Amino acid sequence: MAPITIDRVDKVYPNGFHAIHELCLNVEDGEFLVLVGPSGCGKSTALRMVAGLEEVSSGLLQIGERVVNDVEPKNRDIAMVFQNYALYPHMTVRDNIGFALKLAKVPKKEIARRVDEAAQMLELSEQLDKKPAQLSGGQRQRVAMGRAIVRQPAVFLMDEPLSNLDAKLRVQMRAEISRLQRQLGVTTIYVTHDQVEAMTMGDRVAVLMDGHLQQVDTPQNLYDRPDNVFVAAFIGSPSMNLYEAELLDNQLHIGSHQLTLPESVFVRRPALREYQGRRIVVGLRPEDLEDASITGPVPSGTTITSTVELTESLGSEIVVHFMLDESRVDPGNPDAAEDLSSSAVARFDPRSRCRAGEAIDIAVTIDNLHYFDIDEHTAIWG
Amino acid sequence: MTRSQLLPRLVMAMLLLFTAIPFLTLLSASLQPLGVSPRGLKWPSNPRWSNFVEGYQVADMTPLLMSSTLIVIGVVPISLLIASLAGYGLASLRIPGARWMLLVFIAGLTIPFESLITPLYFQMKSLGVLNTRWAVILALIGLFMPFGVFWMRSHFVSIPNEISEAARIDGAGPWQAFWRVHLPLARPALTSLAILLFLWTWNQFILALVLIDDPSLRTVAGALGAFQSQYGTNVVLLASVSVLIMAPTIIVFVLFRKQFSKALLEGAVKG
Ligand SMILES: Nc1ncnc2c1ncn2[C@@H]1O[C@H](COP(=O)(O)OP(=O)(O)OP(=O)(O)O)[C@@H](O)[C@H]1O
Ligand SMILES: [Mg+2]
Repeated sequence: MAPITIDRVDKVYPNGFHAIHELCLNVEDGEFLVLVGPSGCGKSTALRMVAGLEEVSSGLLQIGERVVNDVEPKNRDIAMVFQNYALYPHMTVRDNIGFALKLAKVPKKEIARRVDEAAQMLELSEQLDKKPAQLSGGQRQRVAMGRAIVRQPAVFLMDEPLSNLDAKLRVQMRAEISRLQRQLGVTTIYVTHDQVEAMTMGDRVAVLMDGHLQQVDTPQNLYDRPDNVFVAAFIGSPSMNLYEAELLDNQLHIGSHQLTLPESVFVRRPALREYQGRRIVVGLRPEDLEDASITGPVPSGTTITSTVELTESLGSEIVVHFMLDESRVDPGNPDAAEDLSSSAVARFDPRSRCRAGEAIDIAVTIDNLHYFDIDEHTAIWG
Repeated sequence: MTRSQLLPRLVMAMLLLFTAIPFLTLLSASLQPLGVSPRGLKWPSNPRWSNFVEGYQVADMTPLLMSSTLIVIGVVPISLLIASLAGYGLASLRIPGARWMLLVFIAGLTIPFESLITPLYFQMKSLGVLNTRWAVILALIGLFMPFGVFWMRSHFVSIPNEISEAARIDGAGPWQAFWRVHLPLARPALTSLAILLFLWTWNQFILALVLIDDPSLRTVAGALGAFQSQYGTNVVLLASVSVLIMAPTIIVFVLFRKQFSKALLEGAVKG
């Protein structure tokens, strides 16, 4: 059990590619930190530096009280779970789990005891004499976990450990890993590109983009107070609608649409006053938009009138696409290259009777709107 | 059977005939009465299996088989060991200049082996091992290295890097990772390579002929050269001895035919 301190760490690969820029991150003792970001943003690179599989180009890396920049992986007191599990195909489950202990010359009896204990925890007791090829995907995943926990390391490092599982199993293993981590209290860095995984598993979530750390915070704070357009769009599904807008006398003009901002908005975001008369980026989460015909009466200046383009009924909600006559803003996620001509998205209550082609009044929860600088793409607060 | 299947099958049947007919001719010749000069493929009405016993005795094959076996034992395990160590190093370790070394090995693959015989002769002479089995053993180990290293490297390259990394994190140094993880995983590749090297060693003819004067120190195939000049006119006996010499390779092939076809396929895919 140990905290991890990553202090202004850079990674430049031998080919000159600068993969990580001045990463600063503190993971507390026993914390579950999720590192999330689009493909190629440097998550694995960061994790592999902590593991010791990649050299740190500059900066300090500390596990516990110890600077580990030049410490061999095996001496860092870490265990790692790989995306494709990296089980040893020629060894039984028992030998796979016990391999590290065997190398560490732990007495045979002790190995057997700890392997059995880990197997029990992971419900693998029946599989101990099988080879990895004879296991299901979920069981292999568990063996990989077993290999990590049997060593009782100070730190778990996991690189997209669930991405090879089908959706249902993924949800199940998600809960299982969280439970196990809490039970063992081992400091964990968990890498994923799935924001749902990040939000549901992490005590805190660090969002990475192009090798730059965007924001670290609890899942709720990331959702409520994204620091910039990228984080705003990355967290939440469907993604936040981001449009250019103009602020004129407490009136927010989004194309031909107009919303009235109450004084409370400016109290919470004093800096917004300085944007009077300027163009900004406004973010509307799909869940903050509702069919006005079922919300009951709403104050004037809190609705948008548009035409429904498409509805997708999910049973628990209806996803409604509609057009806004204003430029969309590209948050810059390479994984979800925005079609900037596409429509805005709302999540309506299933009672909504709206249909494609019909005009619709959409009630906006004004208090929950997000505002960003149009050039810097940073959140406007105080 | 559709048309598209017909042609390949026909071609294969032809190929089979081309390979089988010479062998069957040899076999039929070896079963004729001693002293006749058989022409073409004609199964004898009264096959003389005892020709094999006679051939075995006349050619004095026991020491020859022993000699061949000794050479195989000298060549194959050492070649496997060196090839897998070198292949592993080139594939998985960060060695300065590894790319160049690999290129040298690949270049070695392209050199026709016949062009090396004369230099090898003088090299073995200077090593003082001419006319001993070591001459053939050392020469073959060297000659097999380009292929062997290349073969093992292809295998090690195909092993996901994460396996090595997992071993590293589990606390294995390069040697432990090699012995405990990579070598066991390389078993199929090693088996195929072992079979190929066995066949090539067993069938080695010209090298044994050039480097060793005493036929009893050569491979069986090489010894046949001496036998041929002595008994060149006794075609039946010659044929039966040839069949005897081929027998071990055929047995090995039958025993390991699965690995063998896998080996050839692997070569085809990884080229
Ligand atoms: N050995 C290397 N040499 C040079 N560049 C590399 C190397 N490994 C990774 N990169 C580059 O560094 C960047 C970050 O890679 P990394 O594997 O950390 O991304 P990631 O966030 O884990 O992505 P993914 O979600 O696809 O796994 C990528 O642009 C990648 O091309
Ligand atoms: Mg990755």
